[in-house]
Amino acid sequence: MSKTYRSLKQFFSNFYLVFILIFLYAPIITMMVLSFNTSKSRTQWGGFTLAWYQQMLSDPNIISALYYTLLIAFVSALAACIIGTAAAIAIDSMKPVTKTIVLGVTNIPMLNADIVTGISLMLAFLAFGISLGFKTILISHITFNIPYVILSVMPKLKQTNKSTYEAALDLGAHPLYAFFKVVFPDIMPGVLSGFLLAFTMSLDDFIITHFTRGAGINTLSTLIYSQVRRGIQPSMYALSSVIFLTVLVLLLITNYRPRQKKSIHDTDALSGGAFHKNSLPERIQKSAMAAAAVMILFSVAFITFKKYTTASSNELYVYNWGEYIDEEVVAMFEEETGIDVTYDMFETNEEMYPVIEAGAVRYDVVCPSDYMIQKMIENDLLVEINFENVPNIHQINPTYLEMSKSFDPQNKYSVPYCWGTVGILYNTKRIQELGVEPPDSWHDLWNPALAGEILMQDSVRDAFMVALKDLGYSMNTADISQLQEAKQLLIDQKPLVQAYVIDQVRDKMIGGEAAVGVVYSGEMLYIQEEVQNLGLDYELEYVIPKEGTNLWLDSWVIPANAANKENAEKWIDFLCRPEIALRNFEYITYPTPNDGAFQLLEPELQNNKSIFPDLDHLEDSEVFQYLGDEDDAVYNALWKEVKSW
Amino acid sequence: MSKKLLSGPYVLWMIGFTIIPLALILYYGLTDRSGAFTLANIMAIATAEHAKALWLSLGLSLASTICCLLLAYPLAMVLRAKGVGAGSFIVFIFILPMWMNFLLRTLAWQTLLEKSGVINGFLALLHLPPQNMINTPAAIILGMVYNFLPFMVLPIYNVLSKIDDNTINAATDLGASSLQTFWHILLPLSVPGIISGINMVFVPALTTFVISNLLGGSKILLIGNVIEQEFTKGSNWHLGSGLSLVLMIFILISMALIAKYDKNGEGNAF
Repeated sequence: MSKTYRSLKQFFSNFYLVFILIFLYAPIITMMVLSFNTSKSRTQWGGFTLAWYQQMLSDPNIISALYYTLLIAFVSALAACIIGTAAAIAIDSMKPVTKTIVLGVTNIPMLNADIVTGISLMLAFLAFGISLGFKTILISHITFNIPYVILSVMPKLKQTNKSTYEAALDLGAHPLYAFFKVVFPDIMPGVLSGFLLAFTMSLDDFIITHFTRGAGINTLSTLIYSQVRRGIQPSMYALSSVIFLTVLVLLLITNYRPRQKKSIHDTDALSGGAFHKNSLPERIQKSAMAAAAVMILFSVAFITFKKYTTASSNELYVYNWGEYIDEEVVAMFEEETGIDVTYDMFETNEEMYPVIEAGAVRYDVVCPSDYMIQKMIENDLLVEINFENVPNIHQINPTYLEMSKSFDPQNKYSVPYCWGTVGILYNTKRIQELGVEPPDSWHDLWNPALAGEILMQDSVRDAFMVALKDLGYSMNTADISQLQEAKQLLIDQKPLVQAYVIDQVRDKMIGGEAAVGVVYSGEMLYIQEEVQNLGLDYELEYVIPKEGTNLWLDSWVIPANAANKENAEKWIDFLCRPEIALRNFEYITYPTPNDGAFQLLEPELQNNKSIFPDLDHLEDSEVFQYLGDEDDAVYNALWKEVKSW
Repeated sequence: MSKKLLSGPYVLWMIGFTIIPLALILYYGLTDRSGAFTLANIMAIATAEHAKALWLSLGLSLASTICCLLLAYPLAMVLRAKGVGAGSFIVFIFILPMWMNFLLRTLAWQTLLEKSGVINGFLALLHLPPQNMINTPAAIILGMVYNFLPFMVLPIYNVLSKIDDNTINAATDLGASSLQTFWHILLPLSVPGIISGINMVFVPALTTFVISNLLGGSKILLIGNVIEQEFTKGSNWHLGSGLSLVLMIFILISMALIAKYDKNGEGNAF
């Protein structure tokens, strides 16, 4: 009886353990599988490939992000170890009251919400006048790493015998010598486990880095986040798989050693035995120290090297949308002009604006959209472009300069880069299955038959555009009753909406996740190509609703505080060259306003109406205008109501 | 004496990068754009959409904390019973996933849960109807449980593994059933770990904005999303700070709980 009970219990506990392990590792295995997937889409299996592993090694963005991630994790963990161990020793000898206070404050970064920690640090850096960048990330990581070290070292200190240290002093040892000979070996496991923990936490952090990073610096987390919107590059999965397997192998090696006889009381987190000084064999400690030393040397050398090579005065800080340029073009520009380009990305206009406004990072050239350019002009954030330095401006089709006048009345501040429309993308097969006619009106997005099949845009103005156009109002209205009506419409639509997305709409539609989605026309070429490549049994069609839509323009502008204005103009001129514009068009597939480039296109593409629609048919369409801070706040508040409904 | 000096760098660091930043949040939270004192940013929590977001956040994080506790406690008991000598190895198994980026892990769940995702693929193989899992509150809870489970397991495992076997044997010898042993011995002794675990799960779950974005399809607005949007999109830092101050209240409650039940830091996760 008791035996069967026991084996039953044994069985269940094993079963439970396996269940949890599957739960923990299923996503990781998924990711590893995806790293071998030919298709970029997360939901379609396109065949086995190793291409992403090659691409990972040749992608400078990934390599640089990996480098910064490891460097920051290592340096911050090391600094936290030094400061934290010293602090732990001091705290250990403090009076109880002081001790409680100090330990209380120590707990703050650990217990506080990451978002609050991140924001508070960002506010502090701006207040101290420290520009956001590598050092601010490093400082932030050290800040949240120290508590982990202190908390790992403190218990070890409690176990040390204070008399041995005093004995060493009595015997004439210098305090430092005594510390390293007597105390340090005892607390070493705590320091090491603190280091490992700090390293892991730093590596895994996203939120705090998100708020404290600056121009041209990405860790893996922030790089991934910037890719989430437009679809993750599978090379990211490849890299993560490599990191994961490396760590796994390292752990297996360090853990695979002759079993020491241990009783259960000795098990202690991470260090593997609080009461076992020998649990980390000396040679492992030594090799860890050696590895640490090598990495420090390497890092210092690399930083000085970087400093030295980027010290040239000839530089340019570019701030552009994610995946909105052919990387080759940047390299070509650097080669031709000898200018060092620091390239940085944003995901939304709204996210870009405060960065420029606060001047936390000084960009030389930025690529916002229409209404945001107007806002920046009105708030004196831009400087006029000297068109003598941009002779290629005549390559831009005058129609688009005319369009630009709605936000830049005298064409003084901006040079069009891409333009397009917003429309409905629909899955022909899915629509048929649901028994719905192909959409041709915004109103089709309120069709109850499409419940759970609609992907809406997750940004205020785009979402309201859909509702306002459906109601027959201007999408630039500030009339509160019209806006209330639109809000109510959006709330009514919410139960039908599957998700509010930004650029993920592309991957989701390709994957067949939804029947209809609101998309930017620029994604069309890529989408249709991908559907073909994958040999899917459905087609995705694009339609501009009959009520009219949003005509948008993304243009290059120069912020007023730009330090390298002439380089910025060289950059703009370079991008206006027909062959460069063509190259960019082929990469990003957003319609180009560059006439020279348009003429170089295949007739088939020139006549593709979903990419280059006839402008005469779009008389009901509008370009977004900036409505002023107060009306913006109204829009934001109404949108928040929709989102929280 | 010289030992006290060792805390110098840390104390300076703490003041510079923990206390002053928090003071700034307080400053922003209590002023408006013109710099005048106001309570409006804090009272804003009472508006319908903020209150709803906070309420929803509280509900979801509470649910995920309970799920974590229910999953973690038996797990910690199993691990203890196994008495696997290499305690560190177990911990490694739970820390290891963290080396795969947090965002990627969460995205992977998207792949698993989607309509045409992996799980529905399996269901189709078994001729079961597809389930609608993604973009629901349940998906968000799952994401929270997944990401924060280790922070519940480790502290509980830590306190459980420190309980002397003899204590349990004594209880059994004196005729206690395994349920009684659990109720009167294991559970009371593991309270510090439980409290610490609850904190380590509840606070990050309460304030997350990434998980709700990725697994909730941005349809579900949590208080973390509101704050993040005020800082990055709405550019109303005063309101964002004010709402952060409201969140701090919950964090302070957590800290007070820890101070009460886990005086000696026994329940530390690591």
